[in-house]
Amino acid sequence: MTTLGESALAPFPQRGRRLTFVNAKVLAGIAILVFFGLLTFAHPVLEATIWAGRGNVYHPQFGFDSGIGHPSAPSATHWLGTSSLGRDVFSMFAHAARPTFLVALAAGGSIAAVSLLLGSVAAYRRGWADGFISHLSDAMVLLPAMVVVFVLGIGRSNEEFGALQVGLSFGVLYGLGPATATVRAAALTVMVRPFMEAARVAGGGGRWIVTRHVLPHLYPHAAVQAMIGATGAVIADSFLSFRSAVGEDFGFGQMVYDGITWSTLMAGIAPPPWWIMLAGAGGITLLAAAFYLIGVGLREALDPRLAGDPR
Amino acid sequence: MQVINAESVWRRPRVPWFVTFLALRLVWALITLFLFLTAVFFFMQVWVPYSWATQFLLGGPGAFEQAREAAGLTQPLHQQYADFMLGLARADLGTSFGGASVGDMILEALPITLTIFIAGTVIGWVVGEMLGRVGTWSSHRLSGLALSVLGVLSAAIFPPFLVYVLVRWLREPILDARQAMGLPSDSLELWRGAVIGEPGALTPGEVRWLIALAMVAALAVGLIVRAYGRRHQLAVVEALALPGTLLGAGVGIWLSGLGPHALDLLYRADISASTGRGTPALALVGIVLISFGQVMLVMRAGMEAERGEDYVLTGRAKGLTERAVRDRHVARNALAPVLAGSFLSFPTVLAGMMIVEYELEMQGLSSVLFDAIEFQDIPVIMGVIVVLGLMGVGFRLLTDLTIASLDPRQRHGRA
Repeated sequence: MTTLGESALAPFPQRGRRLTFVNAKVLAGIAILVFFGLLTFAHPVLEATIWAGRGNVYHPQFGFDSGIGHPSAPSATHWLGTSSLGRDVFSMFAHAARPTFLVALAAGGSIAAVSLLLGSVAAYRRGWADGFISHLSDAMVLLPAMVVVFVLGIGRSNEEFGALQVGLSFGVLYGLGPATATVRAAALTVMVRPFMEAARVAGGGGRWIVTRHVLPHLYPHAAVQAMIGATGAVIADSFLSFRSAVGEDFGFGQMVYDGITWSTLMAGIAPPPWWIMLAGAGGITLLAAAFYLIGVGLREALDPRLAGDPR
Repeated sequence: MQVINAESVWRRPRVPWFVTFLALRLVWALITLFLFLTAVFFFMQVWVPYSWATQFLLGGPGAFEQAREAAGLTQPLHQQYADFMLGLARADLGTSFGGASVGDMILEALPITLTIFIAGTVIGWVVGEMLGRVGTWSSHRLSGLALSVLGVLSAAIFPPFLVYVLVRWLREPILDARQAMGLPSDSLELWRGAVIGEPGALTPGEVRWLIALAMVAALAVGLIVRAYGRRHQLAVVEALALPGTLLGAGVGIWLSGLGPHALDLLYRADISASTGRGTPALALVGIVLISFGQVMLVMRAGMEAERGEDYVLTGRAKGLTERAVRDRHVARNALAPVLAGSFLSFPTVLAGMMIVEYELEMQGLSSVLFDAIEFQDIPVIMGVIVVLGLMGVGFRLLTDLTIASLDPRQRHGRA
């Protein structure tokens, strides 16, 4: 139960009451990210120790264990089994997180940059600049970033349209659309607060007011959008990898594809290789969920009633 | 700053609020659509035609130039832009590289997509709203955790894997049910007239449109009846509104004598494809599963934030039932951010729905789009993206109207 005073103050982080951005959802998301980060570092360590000298067996792309038939179920030598091409699934799993991280990083960074720039300019300038930016962001919401990434990505080679390009193009489109709409709405609520008047009276110029007084209040909102956008970017990239359109030949999406193709080919002859599909789909879902959890957790910490676009 | 004078505040409006509201929103929609179409045009013209010439390599010398000529790509950019916009104003989406009219291709695919997307979104929405509302109000720690995990899973699941699981576990039971209903296993019997081109014969296209329109009408009526039931605390009306109207539409279609045809279409992706993996029923399940989570999470957060407000205490103190406090007061306040947020998450959910539809091999818009991407058929890609944008505008108008009907403060003022 919150008291009257507390609930009235809730949306405004003011002196004496700090917003805490750490809640169960954010912590869970960070824990998953740490897990994948450790896994990424574990790969070279394993190559140097347990898998030392057996690169031909454990290489994520070219590895092949000639001693057994493939795909093989999880065992002591292959912790998550092997794929239909004889690759070690654990090695693929530990390695596939890298390009996915890059996609999420590129998408999140560009979403934050685009939405902070446009959102703060629109709210500070108002007038025709605001009219144009808000109509543009409404229009870009209609253009699903994921569909555009498919249009750009399917049919292009990995050198031409790899993880970085997927992340950036997704991020710019998502940033122009939903992210700018949300950050602009948050910036409008900042503009009417008393300290803005004080900053103007103090003789602050436009750039000083925006960077010192507006942007700091928008960082959490941009972070929410960056995280939720990164969720979509991870899924978009995985779908491209699933259609073997982009990403390295052994991404998470490719693992799901491997499993589904094998079980369709061998329907009724051999049981489906669940370990490949689960490792791939689990990797995608866990990583996407990590970004989504951080985004949703931050948003709830900010104020759930501002979750949407308070027009 | 807005100047408030007594006259403008107190003058009684002469027209119902939704007339001016809708008029303003339509103007908004036109401006937004114009910007959207311009963005699509420049995106496709400037960015995409990277190597689309390769498909003409087999056509012999000159084939590429001919195709450029035919597609109007040799004209200056502003001329192409004017042609594109004027064509759209006449509802002309151009001609695909394969020679077919893009408009016809889309019209053929649209009823399937409309049926499963609209039904999937509405059902996913209702499920998510209900779980968020009821689940949060009487939550134990454990059920709260379970709901959160479910919601995050729904938002983060990899659609192709979901489709694989659905096909593996649900396809056989659905096909068994089809046989149990006595439908012929070879549905060509039903569509013989259409296949051999008999004049006046019933075609799948017509029946698909009939199903789509009947279902949209049933959902609209169902949602209105449901809102009425909620408002007047008629629990039975509220619970039975949607299933009742959907069942009513089904019975209506059956009584009109088209029952077997409609049912047959609900069980297969395409009458010519006997190998299709999916059925509209499966696609519906998949779309509900990927769309309910986001709604539920935002609804939960809203309910949690509102339950500490003072009006809740007031409501209880004046003797309202817990249900009335929850549904008529708290949920009404918690719903606005859900609605506003649902438009912003529209692109992500839409892309997920398209992946589900495509992976289930439904002959809908996503098949048209992904095939066009495969063949670098630029006019078709543009056509589908334009239609997706139109669907988005319609969705925005509906959510805005719902927000305004929930919250009188939103009824006046600019878009």
